[in-house]
Amino acid sequence: MKQGELRRVRFAFGALGAVPVFLVGWLGWVQVAQAGELDREGRAPLQLVPETADRQSQRAESVPGPRGTIVDRNGSMLAIDREVYEVRASVVVPKKYRKDVNVFTGWLARLAEDLAKTLVADPDLPDRDELRRRHAQRLAGQFARAFRTDALPAAGALPEKHPVTADLLVANGIDVLSVVQALRGFTVRHAYDTVTLHFLRSLERAYPDREFTFGLVGHVDTRWESAGDAAKSLVTQGVCGLESFVVLDPSDTQRRSFLKDGTGRSYFQAPFEDVRVPNVLQCTLDIELQRIAVRELAAQATAAGKDSTATIPKWGAMVLVELATGDVLAAASWHRGDLLPQATAFTPYQSLCEPGSIVKPLVFAYALEAGVLDWSHVYDCHPGGANYRETIAQLGRAKPVRDDHECGELTPHGIIVNSSNIGASYVGLGLSRDQWRDYMSYYGFGTSLQLNLPHECVGGPNKHSFDPNTSTRGFRANSAISFSFGYELQVTAMHLARAYLRLFSGKGAELRLCRGVEIGGRWYDAPAAAGNGPRFRRDTVENVTEAMIDVVSNDPHATGSHVHARMLKELGINLHRVIAGKTGTAASLVGIPGRGSVSVRNASFVGLLPAESPRWLAVCVLQKDDSALFYGGSYAAPPVVRLLLRCQELEGRRQLRQEAQGGTGGQARATSGSPGDTGWSPAASEKQR
Amino acid sequence: MRWLLAGLLFALAVGLAIGTAAIRADNARYRFAVEQLYRDVHDRWVELGRLKLERLESSSPERLAAEHWAHLEAQNARRLEALQ
Repeated sequence: MKQGELRRVRFAFGALGAVPVFLVGWLGWVQVAQAGELDREGRAPLQLVPETADRQSQRAESVPGPRGTIVDRNGSMLAIDREVYEVRASVVVPKKYRKDVNVFTGWLARLAEDLAKTLVADPDLPDRDELRRRHAQRLAGQFARAFRTDALPAAGALPEKHPVTADLLVANGIDVLSVVQALRGFTVRHAYDTVTLHFLRSLERAYPDREFTFGLVGHVDTRWESAGDAAKSLVTQGVCGLESFVVLDPSDTQRRSFLKDGTGRSYFQAPFEDVRVPNVLQCTLDIELQRIAVRELAAQATAAGKDSTATIPKWGAMVLVELATGDVLAAASWHRGDLLPQATAFTPYQSLCEPGSIVKPLVFAYALEAGVLDWSHVYDCHPGGANYRETIAQLGRAKPVRDDHECGELTPHGIIVNSSNIGASYVGLGLSRDQWRDYMSYYGFGTSLQLNLPHECVGGPNKHSFDPNTSTRGFRANSAISFSFGYELQVTAMHLARAYLRLFSGKGAELRLCRGVEIGGRWYDAPAAAGNGPRFRRDTVENVTEAMIDVVSNDPHATGSHVHARMLKELGINLHRVIAGKTGTAASLVGIPGRGSVSVRNASFVGLLPAESPRWLAVCVLQKDDSALFYGGSYAAPPVVRLLLRCQELEGRRQLRQEAQGGTGGQARATSGSPGDTGWSPAASEKQR
Repeated sequence: MRWLLAGLLFALAVGLAIGTAAIRADNARYRFAVEQLYRDVHDRWVELGRLKLERLESSSPERLAAEHWAHLEAQNARRLEALQ
């Protein structure tokens, strides 16, 4: 190589070698010599280090943890988490629109109108124009607040330091694909370069068959709330019913990392970490029976007012229970007036009343078991008879004991059939104070239903009844007699249902609302409390059941003769020996805020089907806030009878269907609205049991 | 020869740098596409959840009965029209 060529090559390679030297020098200058801090107003200085650059490009989106799924006993979905978007907008008014007030407000108005149009992009939406108008009005209001347009002059230049950026909510609960897609392309389509829409993933609670499940499934109101500083936390308010169960308490939020560049474009980095399988709570309700119960109760309550002499009840409650397990198959609540279901008491466990004669079979069974009642004994139930004078009148009771119709000599069986208060008083007076206390304990009056439902009303006996300061004579004259026909005692419909459950299944029997839960894919059975603890002798239960069978008969003195005749006429069914039952009617005085002491009447009925070896029991209570005649046999019995008959019919139909299909149990897979959610797989659960 | 090898090594280094940058750029482009796809899939998942619920609610026995009743009434009306 010649000397000149060598020089040129050396120069060329030297120049090329200078490039990396320059780059290294530049890197050292920027990253070492110039490294430092950037002062920020009101915040800590920004460290100009590589971590800062990484942090600015690293983003994460979070989704609140799912509450879980509630299914009925057959797998039908009652509550589920549904994914939706909350769309927020970061708005920066472009510089060219900041010069004049009218131009500034005009740009905001156009943005609000364009967003409103996009929010009604769903072609299937009815009345889109009206909805668009409402969205535009709402968004214009939000813009006015965020950009303080009311503080602007009518015309002229935009004041200095007037807010030109804002972050605001565009809409929440967005779940229609056409709307989502329209929003995703919004900024490009309408050339809003300075507007960024953020799609925040959130969950909404969905309740299929909502109108039938307000009380027991309950409701939940969850929202993001500021925690003082910039942080926000998910706060749950107003939880009731099954929604209040801990298993449905959402755990931590799930996070997903992604990258974002300076122009706002997102880059995939990872899927969601630790996707949580939602828990599943299987309740004992049968949604088909629940629908029937709600409809029957509402129909009966409103029908009571169609008779010109009668008024509509104030509230009603109906409960259907499977005796073998204590499972609550249906629980219906009804209130007079156009009230919000979320804002009213769920009557089956929150509305108290004096039960009346419906408790007589319970009293007689207890007395029989305690050995203070002879089932073949004949009682003189004449109101003015010698026995009455000697046993009841001489106690000095303020209110005399009366019967609805004059009863002569009756056995305990006849007392239940005729619902004689005088006869029941004789039996009640045979029990000591301690025995009455044990009676309350045995049947669970005044104690919690153990369903773990919030705001449960427990009720119980009058507080003076077992007060040590109340004399035994006073107790006998008042409480012992009143208890025997269901006065001086406050119960809910569910307490009555549990009391009858205990009559058949023993003291340890409890109602059950939750059959089991699936947590992390593993199934856990909820224990059935029916069948534990001491229980009545078989002949005791049989005697009482036999009397309840004759209550629903064509005997003109039987208190269930009205429903017997009505069903024979309406359905062509002779209910005698098909359904056993007991009516209850009570007249009480209750204090109502603003109205003082009001006379109310409670009509109740408990029904058992099949009559001789009961499998289901149903209780209905209706309360009127006036003194008009209102009998359990006429008003509370028909819905119970219809519900029990439908229950039996449905059971027969299901058995036929199972036989035809080879029996899968009718369980449906409950799917959830979250990727990675396996829903509830009964088959898998069965394997794990 | 020594200089030739140095030049080739330098060219290799530059080539590697360009290749790496290209691969990284391609990687970023794919990450962008995957992110778009991921969001599109999730948008459809949200829509699927809504449709599932709609279907569930519309298939309750009462609503099916109401639909069936409406269908029978419409059929009846058509028959009556045909008779007239």
